[in-house]
Amino acid sequence: MDTIDASEHYELGTTEIAPSLLTVIIDTNPHAWATIEDALPFSKAVANILVFINAHLACNYANEVAVVASHLQKAAWLYPVSHHSQKPADRDGDVVMNGDSNGPQTSKYRSFRLIEEQVNRSLKDLLDSTSNDDFRSNTSTMLAGSLTLALSNINRRTIAWAEEHGGTKPDEVAGDGGGLATANGSAAVEDDRSLQSRILIVSVSGSSDSAHQYIPMMNSIFACQRLRIPIDVCKLSGDAVFLQQACDATKGVYMSLSEPRGFLQYLMMGFLPDQRSRRHLVLPTRIDVDFRAACFCHRRVVDIGFVCSICLSIFCEPPAGNECLTCGSPLDAGNLGGKTGSSSEKEEEEEEDPPSKWWFGGWDANVGACDSDSRALNIIILDLFNEGWNLH
Amino acid sequence: MADSDEEYVGDVTDDEDDLQVTRKDRVTTRKKKQRGGAEWELARTWETLVEGADGTISSTVEGLLEAGKRKRLLKDTTPLQRGIIRHLILALDLSQSMSEKDLRPTRYLLTLRYAQDFVREFFEQNPISQLGVIGLRDGLAIRVSDMSGNPTEHIEAIQSLRTHDPKGLPSLQNGLEMARGALFHTPSHGTREVLIIFGSLLSSDPGDIHQTINTLINDKVRVRIVGLAAQVAICRELCTKTNGGDETAYGVALHEQHFRDLMLDVTTPPASYSQKESASSLLMMGFPSRTVESSPSLCACHSKPSRGGYLCSRCGSKVCSLPAECPSCSLTLILSTHLARSYHHLFPLMNWVEVPWREAVRSKACFACGLPFPTGPPEDQAQTVENPTKGMSASSRYECTACQNHFCIDCDLFAHEVVHNCPGCQSKSIPSVNEVGNPDGMDITV
Repeated sequence: MDTIDASEHYELGTTEIAPSLLTVIIDTNPHAWATIEDALPFSKAVANILVFINAHLACNYANEVAVVASHLQKAAWLYPVSHHSQKPADRDGDVVMNGDSNGPQTSKYRSFRLIEEQVNRSLKDLLDSTSNDDFRSNTSTMLAGSLTLALSNINRRTIAWAEEHGGTKPDEVAGDGGGLATANGSAAVEDDRSLQSRILIVSVSGSSDSAHQYIPMMNSIFACQRLRIPIDVCKLSGDAVFLQQACDATKGVYMSLSEPRGFLQYLMMGFLPDQRSRRHLVLPTRIDVDFRAACFCHRRVVDIGFVCSICLSIFCEPPAGNECLTCGSPLDAGNLGGKTGSSSEKEEEEEEDPPSKWWFGGWDANVGACDSDSRALNIIILDLFNEGWNLH
Repeated sequence: MADSDEEYVGDVTDDEDDLQVTRKDRVTTRKKKQRGGAEWELARTWETLVEGADGTISSTVEGLLEAGKRKRLLKDTTPLQRGIIRHLILALDLSQSMSEKDLRPTRYLLTLRYAQDFVREFFEQNPISQLGVIGLRDGLAIRVSDMSGNPTEHIEAIQSLRTHDPKGLPSLQNGLEMARGALFHTPSHGTREVLIIFGSLLSSDPGDIHQTINTLINDKVRVRIVGLAAQVAICRELCTKTNGGDETAYGVALHEQHFRDLMLDVTTPPASYSQKESASSLLMMGFPSRTVESSPSLCACHSKPSRGGYLCSRCGSKVCSLPAECPSCSLTLILSTHLARSYHHLFPLMNWVEVPWREAVRSKACFACGLPFPTGPPEDQAQTVENPTKGMSASSRYECTACQNHFCIDCDLFAHEVVHNCPGCQSKSIPSVNEVGNPDGMDITV
């Protein structure tokens, strides 16, 4: 059927390797950078990142890059900057070149130079615009916002790239992003032929800082997962719970640097390969992942929480008045899950299906329902389940 | 009834018997369907095209595209109650009748494409449900992907079907038996559902399919079918019987869009189950972290040696996979990412509003992606070009009411359907927002 459509004929034409879009999110939280000042000053880190970006651009002439700053009070574009400030520079581009010809960088590859200048300029603007109030009132960083910005740009670039290269099924790429787009198509085959995007987060802020952004963070992570955009994290100090989860969910690389001075080396060795190369590499990602969640009531990061059966909200303690703070449904707090005395009772497991006993119909199915990397249901159900398949 | 012939429906009395009522219902539903089809065929698409000032229709076409995108977006943003566990087997007809080209490009390819959409959408809507895919080909049922909660696994399996050609005859009975086998051991308080995409007009079965239907009813498996050719009596009977007399479970696709709608309808959780589970409660749950040990140790659940695993957050015993119940302290252990997947239903992003020209001058480019916006028309024409289509912004700008940034239609779509975050609200910490909570709705909790 396919051969009649002669689609293979067209595929032969597109042997050129699709470019990749690297989005770097730089955590510019001054509080956090101050703590590693002696090991890796911010200016040096930026210089290293720029070298890394150049390396990425050098891999393929069509490779693209975007840089977002996740600052104290806002997330901002460093490159490309929004059009109203960029346009004049574009229009009299000749003039800019003439002016620059006096400078020492004439021999530099043009796209390297443009990005370096732009990033440095917008970074300076960003830091200049940070008022003392901002500095005092905030200690965290707008990671969720910068992720969302990065994703919007990736979406835009993916659509634009697909339109330019009409042969590569633009509706599929757009559809993949749109989710509900009418002509939504297969996702895997076009992987090689469409713009490949990935996100690198250079993070310095501490782990619990982003707890108040838990839901937007998770939303962004799931969007990345859905669009198959790996999130790589280069953690310069400490560990970040949600970033670990982000890497785990999107199959990205998580590296917590023990020696920040080797930043550039880590970047080049660990984060340079794009998705296509990564298939052939053993990635230096971590296997132990912190899966704690942030509670909705106090934004604490908890490893044991109370979950509303209706809306699945997480609370760190039973909410006041036994009423769910999110959906308002009255909660029966009597059955707080399991026995605190840890006598292991195997009989209980033996019962295959006691809905009246289990607190919420859904949940014991849930016990088996959602592990992504195994189809294991509950311990017992697993065996029965396999038998069920094998019957046929 | 005795003295009235078939056509006579004028004198409706109170004691009219059930037979006639049901027959009338059926007639009206059928009429409705037919009218839907007729409307589609008679859509006068050419009348909506208006030449622009430059004599081309490109502006209208762009407007229509944008309006189409926007229409899908404007949905109810009231928070929904979710958390229903579904177990669904998607059965795809892979028989020779699927190579018909009445649905473009072919029934087969279109079905595979929509099946992937379905899988994706199913897990969006039902984050903690399970799905399996089987195929009907050569009179056999074949396993395409096993029951699991991982959408990419299914999507890849469905994609690999593209390289095969549809072949042979389908067997409904074999397919149903395999689906029943897969669903048989699922907990009975979750749903057990089968969705069949059926392109053929026949079923080549080894035995009596009516017995299979009866066992399905006993096992409380609900079957829904989307037909691609014409209505088939056995499908109708199958759907009606397994859905307790509900006939809407069987639909025949009129055209591509209708096919898609019929399939995606199934992704919304069935209503009857949502009321039953209304008794809500609070459960203590653990969110264990994954660890890797240098030397293997026995896991508490299977007593098998393994290096990786999850340590119970309360007692520290090791289980090999999540979700699970801690074998020693009975704490429910779950991955927090599975819970978080449904949070965008809880705190939906509110719809963005259209921006009229007079306010549009504020922005020159989309806040999120930097796409330049069209500049406004001259002042004197500004009134005439307002609001060409309902729900669509004349200035191509859409404004988030919380952060008052302007976005383009693609970012609007992307933010509402994929990320569920507003790029503007998230990237700007408005002091009030930070204190009260995030604009995405976390402030409800404070």
